[in-house]
Amino acid sequence: MTIDLEQLIIDMKTAASSVLKADVTTFRGFSDRQLKAIGQQAGLVQIGIATNQITEETREFFLDGLEDMALNFAKTLRGLILVTIEKVWNAVVGVLWKAISTATGLTLPIPVLNS
Amino acid sequence: MNAINRIALLGRILILTIAFATTGCAIQLAPPYDKVVADGLTQVNTESMTLLATVSSGSKADTFSAREEKYNTLIGKIEALALQAGARPMPKNKVTDAMNRALDKRSSQPLLDDDFTPPSAHAIKKVANAFIKMRDTDRKQGITATEAQAFKGQINIYLDQATTYENFLQR
Repeated sequence: MTIDLEQLIIDMKTAASSVLKADVTTFRGFSDRQLKAIGQQAGLVQIGIATNQITEETREFFLDGLEDMALNFAKTLRGLILVTIEKVWNAVVGVLWKAISTATGLTLPIPVLNS
Repeated sequence: MNAINRIALLGRILILTIAFATTGCAIQLAPPYDKVVADGLTQVNTESMTLLATVSSGSKADTFSAREEKYNTLIGKIEALALQAGARPMPKNKVTDAMNRALDKRSSQPLLDDDFTPPSAHAIKKVANAFIKMRDTDRKQGITATEAQAFKGQINIYLDQATTYENFLQR
């Protein structure tokens, strides 16, 4: 039995698209929430410092916090993207190995990349 | 990053992923899901909001002793959770290196200074730091209403980062 290349490509695209559709919605929701919240926090800190409602005791803490929150937002987003890449990758590999197993009649375990 | 750039980036990542995937190996690019961490975050979130509500209008240093134990208990729980979340190192292999390099090309600054700690563990640790700063300020001089609001804002942002990432690991 030979592999139907056209069908294989369609199956790989379908597997990848179904993962991406769901995950992109999460990325968008997370980004929107975070950017809005970090923007509001910056506004609050700026007003608090200007009115002395944020005291000298906490001023540096909140200013440093803004920078770190923005950086960790970017790192979290990257982490989410890597999870999605992993899911897309493994879905595509799953389709490939299923096609090979069907064509050869053998049940082949999917190898795992460790290094 | 606007919507068109985001779609273009995802498209390039997808092509890269499919190209690599045809090498035929399954991969792990993120730590495993840990239900204990995810559930711990839900609990810490509730307890954090409860403590923050008690000082939402500000606080006076002379009533600090009534809150001290609540601060200490919560900080202990959050620090333990941060340790547990950080105990799972990020997978590191040639694929994670290639993906991180590709993503770094899109960043104004590299994000790889600490790629062995999950971003959720960093966020949880920062929640603990915020409560420590809040407790110490409360003890020393009390907290203004604006400071209480700013602590709450910062804690919420980090909790959102940690919760979103940990729940996303359930794949």
